[in-house]
Amino acid sequence: MPMVNRRLNVNRIAVHAALIFYTLIATFPIALVLINSMKSRNAIFSNPLSLPGPGTFDPVGYTQVLEKADFGLYFGNSLIVTVVSLAAVLIAGAMAAWALGEYRFKGNTIVALYMAIGIMVPIRLGTVSILKMVVGMGLINTLTALILVYTAMGLPLAILILGEFMAQIPRDLREAARCDGVSEYRIFTEVILPLIRPAVATVAVFTMVPIWNDLWFPLILASGDGKQTVTLGAQQFIGQYVTNWNAVLAALSLAIAPILVLYIAFSRHLVRGLTMGAVK
Amino acid sequence: MADVSLRNIKKAYGKVEVLHGISLDVKDGEFAVFVGPSGCGKSTALRIIAGLEEITSGELSIGGKVVNQVPPAERGIAMVFQSYALYPHMTVYKNMAFGLKFAKTNKEEADKRVRQAAEILQLTPYLERKPRDLSGGQRQRVAIGRAIVREPAVFLFDEPLSNLDAALRINTRIEIAKLHRALNATTIYVTHDQVEAMTLASKIVVMNQGRVEQVGAPLDLYHHPQNQFVAGFIGSPKMNFVPAKVVAAEGGSLAVEFGEARPLPIPFSGAGAQPGQSVTLGIRPEHLGEGARHGMVLTGTVEAVEHLGEASYVHVRRDDGTLLTARSPGDSRAEIGSRISVSTDVDHLHLFDAQGQAFPRHSKADAA
Amino acid sequence: MTSIAMAADTSVGRRKWPVHIVVFLAPAFLVYTVFSIYPLIDTIWLSLYTTDDTGQAHFIGLGNFVTLLTDPVWSKPFWNALRNNLVFFAIHMVVQTSIGLALAALLSLPRLKGAAVYRTLLFMPTMLSVVIIGFVWQLILSPLWGISRSFLATFGLGALFAPWLGQEGTALITVSLISVWQFVGIPMILIYAALINIPDDLIDAATVDGAPPFYVFWAIRLPLVYPTLGVVSILTFVGNFNAFDLIYAMKGAQAGPNYATDILGTFFYRTFFGYQLQTGNPTMGAAVATMMLFIILVGVLFYLFGVQRKLQHHLA
Repeated sequence: MPMVNRRLNVNRIAVHAALIFYTLIATFPIALVLINSMKSRNAIFSNPLSLPGPGTFDPVGYTQVLEKADFGLYFGNSLIVTVVSLAAVLIAGAMAAWALGEYRFKGNTIVALYMAIGIMVPIRLGTVSILKMVVGMGLINTLTALILVYTAMGLPLAILILGEFMAQIPRDLREAARCDGVSEYRIFTEVILPLIRPAVATVAVFTMVPIWNDLWFPLILASGDGKQTVTLGAQQFIGQYVTNWNAVLAALSLAIAPILVLYIAFSRHLVRGLTMGAVK
Repeated sequence: MADVSLRNIKKAYGKVEVLHGISLDVKDGEFAVFVGPSGCGKSTALRIIAGLEEITSGELSIGGKVVNQVPPAERGIAMVFQSYALYPHMTVYKNMAFGLKFAKTNKEEADKRVRQAAEILQLTPYLERKPRDLSGGQRQRVAIGRAIVREPAVFLFDEPLSNLDAALRINTRIEIAKLHRALNATTIYVTHDQVEAMTLASKIVVMNQGRVEQVGAPLDLYHHPQNQFVAGFIGSPKMNFVPAKVVAAEGGSLAVEFGEARPLPIPFSGAGAQPGQSVTLGIRPEHLGEGARHGMVLTGTVEAVEHLGEASYVHVRRDDGTLLTARSPGDSRAEIGSRISVSTDVDHLHLFDAQGQAFPRHSKADAA
Repeated sequence: MTSIAMAADTSVGRRKWPVHIVVFLAPAFLVYTVFSIYPLIDTIWLSLYTTDDTGQAHFIGLGNFVTLLTDPVWSKPFWNALRNNLVFFAIHMVVQTSIGLALAALLSLPRLKGAAVYRTLLFMPTMLSVVIIGFVWQLILSPLWGISRSFLATFGLGALFAPWLGQEGTALITVSLISVWQFVGIPMILIYAALINIPDDLIDAATVDGAPPFYVFWAIRLPLVYPTLGVVSILTFVGNFNAFDLIYAMKGAQAGPNYATDILGTFFYRTFFGYQLQTGNPTMGAAVATMMLFIILVGVLFYLFGVQRKLQHHLA
């Protein structure tokens, strides 16, 4: 190798060392939990760093968790809330983003700004009123309440992302359809919607992750038996069994696993979406 | 000012070799243009000279010193990029002065050089502006100014005119030529446009697929292309190529048959040619005229006529399907669809073998 | 917008708001207004009232705010929470932004092997719920499990270990650092995106100009990333002043020890929802929320009109 590189190579080693160091910091705690969730209580204490092996493997934590808490139900609740909210956000958001970006009408800018406020101002601050409203509507302790709130929460950012994406669709496609006399509704559903599929992944991640991981609204609006989300359920369970380390570790692992799997499967899309849309 | 010398430079990215052993010399003060189609390796060669790419094997010397391991800043080069690469957050002044900071030039000297360069390039009124407030042509000049202030031994230009509109391109071309004469600096210039190459270069290096096809002065390449690629690349419109077969080859002379009435003797050395061998005749459009006046006549149907005012280009489709372009005076009356004969003097012919290599002419018949 | 589109607009009834536009906008507009905007306005309105023991509401104007800021029963925890929130934010700005910037700079180096793997792994904590993060770190820092003590001991720093989460003096900083640990992925990825958008030509030009690699970063790449740093700052600000989940998960709504980790979010929760011995007080809670809104708005406006304008002047 030419010697010009030697200077750069030394730097490369330092770069990788720094990155590996921080990556360990970032992943070690998670790995620790996963490993120890499958070990016996003794092994957890005496040998935290070891992998579960013949002497130490013990799924007692998991059996306890699955007995005492209905994680299947919690998981189902989270899934329903997250997926339905995402669908609502995508449909309503795409329609709004389209209208705001495509048509010039009186008050277009104002409406756009109005919808964008939600990005900067957190919806939680209105919780006092939201609670009042939800109770008044008879929706307390329902998943519906969560869905409505999360949809409102996710719309501003979704409209921003989808709007930016739609702006890149070539003019000509829409003009051609209009020349053919196609109605605006059909242009939207048959021309525009299929073309924004790449942006859907980005919106999905930005919308779903905060919803899945949220503790505040499930705690306040839907904490009753049978309606807990996985996040709330895990928190309640851990709070209750805090000295039972096996169970606690198992519960944490159960809550981590779905997200981890999804994340690793879609990480490329996510990063690409972020790097595309982030240049604002 | 310095010589630049490349000896068997090879460049590979992993397993893929993009430069297959380039050797050439650029003498002090010369204006060398690397020209060729996209992907031929000219930009890679330039970046290697600049030090922005590593050399896989071979030797690069600047000013007599081998510089393979020397970082760009210490090679005595300055580069003008296709996209200008101006620092958007700095003023024009700071853009031009940036490099001098690292050359450890003192402040007064740096200021003097920047202002002098601004003078030459008519940038003085813009020194405190940012690049986004300048037009394309002005940005181009700032990029050139940034190179000038470093007083390099070698100037490197990477397709600097590609992003300019046609009129600006011509003006800037003239400016660059003037600058070269004023500074008398060794210049290496990369372009895909053969017109730029012909007008600016004192020496042209034609490249194709990682190899040097031919090196020479512009008119040299025009009159004596060594292979079919160079012949087709230099000159616009492109040279006409007519497939032919050797019918007789005796020591000093050749006769070929090319799908018209009778075989034609042509003034090329017959050594090494075999009867029945496939060859290609080359005729430049400007040497091919309407009518059957000259020695070599071709016939066909007029497919299109392009009137440019000072000339007309008549496109003729021969019966075997090949397309010819002939240059006619501006008032040509050739009609689309009509049969036409076009002809040229055999002295204007080029001949290439099946591998594309040019046959040498008889010495007494050197074309004018 | 083209003439054809405008013709489509005006041909469907000559109204300023053609039907299809309304149809497209309505669902999003309605849900957002009802569940996002109206509650905020209603909260502000509510903060101007107080409820007495019979549950009747009386208008008292800014009375709640006066109480909040001056009556020791309320103002002490309020100012404490505000102060803690500022510390929380300061630690994020300093630590999270520097680490995020450093990681982004490293990841954006050309031809870095395994960049995608690093990116994926480094972003992982951000994907996880704060509940999980909170408990994981509680376990790791727990003196019972002893992992942290052993870890420090390998560097000979065993004596430094203390139950940081349980001590008043260190609890807030510890929780802040855990939050940084979780969220550093976001500035990292946003800055990374901005860095890779810098044209390679600029870096080449600076190299030919003679700038050493660190100087290239400092004088060329960093300035071009300032706008992103601005966005990161405001997002951090808003996120921090809205934070609740991590503290609640680790310390409960009391945000102990002795309110050392109490921030505006937990204070708000306790005030309006009630907790253990404290009954909920919706109007007071609304007042707290309105204060938080005010603080966030001040920050956002400062960013939009102060920082962003300056950045636009500085760059294209």
